Amino acid sequence: MGGRDSDLVLLDENGIRCDGRKVDETRNISIKAGVLKNANGSAYIEFGDNKILAGVFGPRDVHPKHMSDTDTGIIRCRYHMSPFSVTERKNPAPSRREIEIGKVIKEALRPAVMLEKFPRTAVDVYVEVLQADGGTRCAALDAASVALADAGIPMRDMVSACAAGKVADTIILDVNNEEDQAGQADMPIGYMPNLGKVTLLQLDGVLTPAEFKKCLETGIEGCKQVYEIQKQALKDKFFANGEQQS
Amino acid sequence: MADNKRRFVIPGEVITTGPYRPEQNVILEGKKIIATKVGISEIYDDSVKVIPLAGKYIPKSEDLVIGKIISHSSLSWEADINSCYVGMLPGSDVFGRNFQPDTDEMTSKLKKGDLIAARIVNFDRSRDPLITIADRELGKIDSGELVRISPSKVPRLIGKQGTMIQAIEMATNATITIGQNGLVVVASENPDGLLKAKKAIQMIDEQAHMANLTDKIKAMLESNSV
Amino acid sequence: MTSTFVLDQLKRNQINDLLEKGQRYDGRRFDEPRSLTIETGVIPKADGSARVRLGDTEVVTGVKIQPDRPFPDMGDKGIFICTAEILPLAHPTAEPGPPGEDVIELARVVDRGIRESGMVDLSQLVLEKDKSVIGIFADNSVTDHDGNLFDACSCASTAAILTCKIPKWEIINDKPTLVEGQKSDPPITTIPVAVTMARIGDHILVDPNADEWACMDARITITTNSNGNICALQKGGDDGFTPEQIIQCSEIAISAGAKIRQKLEQLRQGR
Repeated sequence: MGGRDSDLVLLDENGIRCDGRKVDETRNISIKAGVLKNANGSAYIEFGDNKILAGVFGPRDVHPKHMSDTDTGIIRCRYHMSPFSVTERKNPAPSRREIEIGKVIKEALRPAVMLEKFPRTAVDVYVEVLQADGGTRCAALDAASVALADAGIPMRDMVSACAAGKVADTIILDVNNEEDQAGQADMPIGYMPNLGKVTLLQLDGVLTPAEFKKCLETGIEGCKQVYEIQKQALKDKFFANGEQQS
Repeated sequence: MADNKRRFVIPGEVITTGPYRPEQNVILEGKKIIATKVGISEIYDDSVKVIPLAGKYIPKSEDLVIGKIISHSSLSWEADINSCYVGMLPGSDVFGRNFQPDTDEMTSKLKKGDLIAARIVNFDRSRDPLITIADRELGKIDSGELVRISPSKVPRLIGKQGTMIQAIEMATNATITIGQNGLVVVASENPDGLLKAKKAIQMIDEQAHMANLTDKIKAMLESNSV
Repeated sequence: MTSTFVLDQLKRNQINDLLEKGQRYDGRRFDEPRSLTIETGVIPKADGSARVRLGDTEVVTGVKIQPDRPFPDMGDKGIFICTAEILPLAHPTAEPGPPGEDVIELARVVDRGIRESGMVDLSQLVLEKDKSVIGIFADNSVTDHDGNLFDACSCASTAAILTCKIPKWEIINDKPTLVEGQKSDPPITTIPVAVTMARIGDHILVDPNADEWACMDARITITTNSNGNICALQKGGDDGFTPEQIIQCSEIAISAGAKIRQKLEQLRQGR
């Protein structure tokens, strides 16, 4: 972030963004649940040009033992970007940014997962960004949420995530990579749609109090749209081809 | 969906509101009954539950389970029972009350990788579930192949009063031992029968929640190919 | 706080009971931060420094300024980097060794708060475009940990940067060379202030101390600038906030931030 000069027109006079979207439109999103054999739960998401895989194990035994909690299960999350996921090859070693994002995603999922039912165990969430294009932490959280549900781990609610932001003094939904680099603000949001709680929230960039409120509201609407896609992904896994239930 | 009392739900969805008792896989939030797992919700006269489509086995006393020995200490074996917790089998269960940890060799009776048919003795979440093999039909499993299915599909595999499992056994000449924990051992002298039995079990795991399953299984068992 | 800190149940109950009555354990109002003292120039060898005491939390921050290569694509801007470390002497559960996720988050949140506000006009820190720029490094060392390191480190960094002196370099033979005896004030455009709030039940508390930190449901750190605009935000903790609570927190951050900003303004004027 920093509002670099760019030849890119972020918002033209018709209210169309640099990738052809309107201000309240998200990129194309598709989610598939249950894509891995070994993980207890898994999901693959394509969010714009982001391609992210999430796998979940657990609840399972905790190692090292001193990390386990006698009263409740714990949740751990690793967010990692593959070296080939970005334009300039990224060193495979975990960066500080990845560690922070892993923490933030873990804390976004924690209120949803009913860990008190499984003392002394851990739920491990592994997210791998195979291709990155702005808004990876939201897409990762969307995939992780589906993977947890796919694993049959009891949850109070899903967590649905989407970012909102500001370019050319206008609040927009779902910030892509160019908009993140050259825009004025980026606000990733993780939201539990049925409980109405925000569990991931960060902001880079400057917003007036009124813009802040609008940005939050816009992002939450985006989260609700993602929720419908997550729900359909889980349904499709068990009822592919629109087959009927027994 | 013809029956509006059953529908596909995901965690967080409100199934219904009202004076219902929340049963498996639902919670009560104020007056709302909310699903906590992906599954099919069922509303009865006075209660609501969700039949899960996924999830690990939660140990219950008296359940018959299949376990795989994964390690041991000098006092007990640990078994993978497809749950969040490992099953604990005390040495005294096998060696008897006069069990001597320093002289009785644990690995002489059971070692890593052995499969056992066991029963859950008790389970509370503050410690790992206790299992026993001290019964006639329990103990080390010497032959057969291990198949894993989702524990939530076990009732379907057994069928009403055992009809489904009996049908599969008869059609394939296989002996099938079903653990409530979703671990199933299939043994047969007939390799084709073994394959068919495994396929039937796999079909139930994948399609237990869908219509016409019984017919599909019947058709598969009767056909000459797998 | 490091995860192995366990708050005793009695105290936890006391804190909750008092909150229900509208009181905090240490007698503060819900929107009241702890006492804040800021001393600057405490490390004369550094180009800028500050020691901040926020309640019983203490942070010492040093600013070092030196020539550096610019970031690629940003050849017309100086460099600003902020780090943070919890010294093992700060708390019984703090361990030496590579930083854990808590410390990494702390450093990154403090860095973003200052960076996103545009506090230092980096375009004024160029020695030779695309080749040589001035780098400002603010390193925070937590020496005593009693909760809310975000605000303490943010304040200490801001104070150290406000009162630092930038040496002068000239490019001689293609290399930046120090010109002794000529120092200048940093190009400051705004003063960012971070305000961290904890949510315990339905109560929002400003500047949680260690005990409140240990029983909070969730936290949010909001940084505002001199215009009263919001320039950075981080939600943390194992639970969440309703959208209404978030707006409430943003309003508190603006008003509480303004009061702290006054103290920081005085440092600047006292030069």
